Amino acid sequence: MTFGRRDCLKALALTGTGFALNGCSFVTRRITQPVLADKIALPPTEIHPIVRLLNRTSFGPVPGQVAIVASQGIENYITEQLHPSNIEPQLLSLRLAPLETLQLQSSERGDELLDEMIRQMQMACILRATYSPHQLRERMVDFWTNHFNIYARKGSSAYFKPHDDLEVIRKHALGSVHDLIRSSAHSPAMLQYLDNQVNRKRDDHGAGANENYARELVELHTLGVHGGYTQKDVQEVARCLTGWTVEGRFLHRKGTFRYDDTAHDKGAKTVLGVTIPAGGGENDGDKVLDILVKHPATAKFISHKICKYFLGDQADSWTDKMADIYLKTDGDITQMLRPMLLSKEIQSASPILKRPFDYAVSAMRALNADTDGGKGIQMHLTQMGQPLFQWPMPDGYPDRTSAWTGSILARWNFATALCTEGVSGTSINWKKLQERIPGGDKNETTKQLMELITAHRADDASSKMRNQRIVKHVSTATKGKPHMQIASLIVASPDFQWR
Amino acid sequence: MESIKLGCDGRGNPLSEPITWSSRANSSLALNPSRRSFLLGTALATVSWLTASKSSLSDVAVGTKGSEYSGDILVTVFMRGGADGLNLVPPFFEDGYFKHRPSIGVKAPSDKKANIESRGLDLDGKFGLHPALSPILPLFHEGKMGVIHACGSLDQSRSHFEAMATMERGIPDQLTGAASGWLGRHLTSAERKSASPLRAVAFSNIMPDALRGATDAAALNSLSDFKLIVPTGQNESDLHSALADIYSDGGDAIAIAGRETIAVLDTLNRIDPTHYKATNNAVYPKSAFGEGLRQVACLIKGKVGLEVACLDHRGPYLWDTHVAQDSVFGAQAGDLASGLAAFAQDLGTELNRVTIVVMTEFGRRVQENAGIGTDHGRGGAMFVIGGSVNGGKVHGKWPGLADHQLDETGDLRVANDYRDILAEVVEKRLHNNATATIFPDFQTHPLGVLRS
Repeated sequence: MTFGRRDCLKALALTGTGFALNGCSFVTRRITQPVLADKIALPPTEIHPIVRLLNRTSFGPVPGQVAIVASQGIENYITEQLHPSNIEPQLLSLRLAPLETLQLQSSERGDELLDEMIRQMQMACILRATYSPHQLRERMVDFWTNHFNIYARKGSSAYFKPHDDLEVIRKHALGSVHDLIRSSAHSPAMLQYLDNQVNRKRDDHGAGANENYARELVELHTLGVHGGYTQKDVQEVARCLTGWTVEGRFLHRKGTFRYDDTAHDKGAKTVLGVTIPAGGGENDGDKVLDILVKHPATAKFISHKICKYFLGDQADSWTDKMADIYLKTDGDITQMLRPMLLSKEIQSASPILKRPFDYAVSAMRALNADTDGGKGIQMHLTQMGQPLFQWPMPDGYPDRTSAWTGSILARWNFATALCTEGVSGTSINWKKLQERIPGGDKNETTKQLMELITAHRADDASSKMRNQRIVKHVSTATKGKPHMQIASLIVASPDFQWR
Repeated sequence: MESIKLGCDGRGNPLSEPITWSSRANSSLALNPSRRSFLLGTALATVSWLTASKSSLSDVAVGTKGSEYSGDILVTVFMRGGADGLNLVPPFFEDGYFKHRPSIGVKAPSDKKANIESRGLDLDGKFGLHPALSPILPLFHEGKMGVIHACGSLDQSRSHFEAMATMERGIPDQLTGAASGWLGRHLTSAERKSASPLRAVAFSNIMPDALRGATDAAALNSLSDFKLIVPTGQNESDLHSALADIYSDGGDAIAIAGRETIAVLDTLNRIDPTHYKATNNAVYPKSAFGEGLRQVACLIKGKVGLEVACLDHRGPYLWDTHVAQDSVFGAQAGDLASGLAAFAQDLGTELNRVTIVVMTEFGRRVQENAGIGTDHGRGGAMFVIGGSVNGGKVHGKWPGLADHQLDETGDLRVANDYRDILAEVVEKRLHNNATATIFPDFQTHPLGVLRS
């Protein structure tokens, strides 16, 4: 462990007082409001470093987890998370098993399955984020799913996306960025979503080359919009990728990658100053990908985006270091992440607004909710503005705070529904949580629930005031279920919106 | 019921059931068509109407204070199903019109032999209006309404879904390219630090394609859907005051947005949309369209920070009039016109900061068919209504109805790209110069429908 409060934390863990971490007042730190690039105000925060770390590297702590991480040590925890096993716990495996449409070959999927397909894809995603112990992988899946965004309702994208999810995103989530970009460029879902399946050499009528995928590959997936390429480069990349399409011929395995030589532009091309000689065929595309994945602008663009995802406004402090590792290791994600995840910055970085998916999953984890990941919870994600796999634009769900601040009403309605048995297919076993919320008067219950849900005890003045406010309104709670009302107000409160 | 036999499958073939557009064309964000599938997002906000009464809010807002919105409120009305532009706005000066439409053609205003109720209403000596559009005729003559004929997209599919998707996405003629909607891109490119949670509202159970990509847009069947969901055993005012209380302080973006939301709930409570009474003796038709317009008027007058409202006009029957067109067209057009007229009247002087665009995915075949209806065509009609419209005029190019002037299928050609009109609205009335983003790969040629 790299910092000196180990013994204190250990002692706490051993005595089973996992939620009394602020007993060591020196482990919390007050973040004064920094000057912010995007001028969005963040809340001042006093939060335990392990809670902050878990909020960033996972979809939020589950009850008791802070103490466990404290006792095993942060370094051990991060190492374990960086090298997850492929085996999921039985409960999760059992719930994923019935999602049968995800196992079908693309060619076996018919039109009528579209909605069911999208429903099951979301289910799998929600279940894994909620229950997988390999949380860092789920975080990176969330990151890459948005980086290589595919809108499941465009054309037949939904039929191809499950394959993309497994063989592109999940397979390489903690692997190599090079592999991710290369396999995404061969992914039928991506080629179809960004129109590369109709990217053909210019014909006699002047029609041809569709630049959609080429442009996003360069602008969003690799170099970034300020990565130093020209419009001519985009056109040349598109020419290199002519003929990279999706198999659709009779008696062939539909829905797989296909290189169609008859559609390929066979002339010479120049991409970012590199000449690609005539007659290269399918290799032209591979050469382009090679140029792009090794480009320093790609290293920087992707590193900055990863840092932003984990550090928010403090991203700049790690971008260059991570980009160096990218270039030295051919984009090895594990090596890029490790020093940043063990840094003090991630434990103290200023708050990042949870997107609706973060918000919903972190609430379910905090309360040990039992969810089927199905229609009930999906409806709430839609209302909060983040129906999974349904962001139409290639840039993925926005990470700007300003994009999400208007969905507060939907978040409140979710918080209430979650805590009062109002989300179908999702429930909270309050009895089982009783050891953590033994109860007492309203003040006590509120304090206990606050500790349970936010995973730390906040004794600062503003938290105390918030507790008092909640308590004040519980006086009107009826039917002997004040804990439900208290919990829903805590989940709905401003504090729980940030990670 | 008539709508059954009038339905078609999107390619001109009759269906045995009424068509439901939402089944495909608008399925964008509907996981399951929920009552309240609102997608909201807004910049941190000091909404203008709040700053007056709650000045403390403007003190806590940080960052560059966004300029207050100075443009018009845009109301789009999409006539779903392909409204027949040639019967909405008949070109009485064209012999071809009467030649191709012996049964269903609207009689010329000067046709003394025809029953007076069946004669068209003269606009400019050349074009006229269907008699059922009489409620909006005064708007034309008062200079508050302009008409654009022979307009549409380059989409040649004549499929409802493809044509609608093309228009709503603001793209030329194909289903590749941008998947977001033109209004979504407008809202995103004009993102505000100061915007209302009710900045963009679609009166629909799902988000229309045009708004796709905007996180700060709400799809509501009714304003009464924008509310706290209260569990049994609690009451709404308790929950409301508890949330108001825990969001009562804090200067961060969420705390501010929370107070905004509480304020919008209070406002909706105050303006009480379900019981809103129209003014100036306006009478809205008792239809889904009339109800939608009534609620938009309520929002405009309530000054809740509305910038864009999207409505569909489906009408009592359908615009997709393949069969026995005359039996339903008057009712369709009448519902549209009486709604628009009531809206304009209700708004009174507020109409000066409103622009209404009425559009459809395509017009219909010039030649009436054997079923005394019309099949899917190309060029259609658009109406633009508002305080800054160059009204009293039929704008744009007219390609003609002589046989050699029609396209190879026998359709009125598209002489005016729909994006020319929308881009003009965006630039002149919404004060957004990002038309290159909103309508990618398109060189606009303003027709002069609006004043700056």
